[in-house]
Amino acid sequence: MRAVIGLWLVLVCAISLSLAQEALEGSAAPAIRALEHEWVEGQSSNNNRALDLIFDNGLVYVEYGRLITKGEYLSRVKAAEPNPSQIVMEAMTVRTFGGTAIVVGTYHEKNISTGTTRLKRWRFVDTWVYKKQRWMLVAAAAAPSSK
Amino acid sequence: MRVLWAVLLACVGTSGGYGQRTPESDAGSKIIALENVWNQAAQARDMKALGALLDEAFVYVDRDGKLLTKAEVLAGVEAIRGFQVLSQSMVVHLHGDTAVVTGIYKTKGVDRGKPFVRRDRFVDTWRNKNGVWMSIASLATPVGS
Repeated sequence: MRAVIGLWLVLVCAISLSLAQEALEGSAAPAIRALEHEWVEGQSSNNNRALDLIFDNGLVYVEYGRLITKGEYLSRVKAAEPNPSQIVMEAMTVRTFGGTAIVVGTYHEKNISTGTTRLKRWRFVDTWVYKKQRWMLVAAAAAPSSK
Repeated sequence: MRVLWAVLLACVGTSGGYGQRTPESDAGSKIIALENVWNQAAQARDMKALGALLDEAFVYVDRDGKLLTKAEVLAGVEAIRGFQVLSQSMVVHLHGDTAVVTGIYKTKGVDRGKPFVRRDRFVDTWRNKNGVWMSIASLATPVGS
């Protein structure tokens, strides 16, 4: 009898874990897309507090071919002028691998200097990890894209 | 074949402890070993070994911002002649079953008749599934682009 109850408990746990995993993966893509947009809004409005909640403390970020930490990124955002139209997101794809998600997409960056406006297109890869009941950005990198 | 054996050994590795070793340092060493195997496999154009490191859903963004699938990456490696790669400053950032590797690689070779020498910063993402680490994403961008 004990063996049957034990087996039943194992089965219930396995099914619960599987359902929890499916629920996590099903809700991941919309949640991560929303976070990607929150990130752009946070950056455009110099909202470091919002960015701090999205970024993992161990974040590694590659911008313009340079590797920077979360602290360095937030300092740069803090020092910049607010610019709501600087980053324009385009299409993005979210792929989930359990508690890891990879986002691939493109964006346009508007640079205004010496009176001229230049648009640069980037393709990015962001890595998100589900920890402490939420998705956190652990890595982000972009390469200049001509098309 | 030698590279394939190295892949298998590096993927599975050993979980046995050596005194002060921690699961994190074991995973970090294993992933650095896999990165080196990746380079060796690419240089040797060992598609089987290279394929074993990359998840089927692997995506790669190259230094020109082009998005490539696993099959396209393998085809690209096969097309390059005299390929040499040297990785530097590799750091593994562990987040449970996910690992992010940052570093710089210097590459040279001949692609469709054109010689090239490049220096790129890369970010690779690895995922541990059932005890096996596989790369799920990678991006390279020119250093200081």
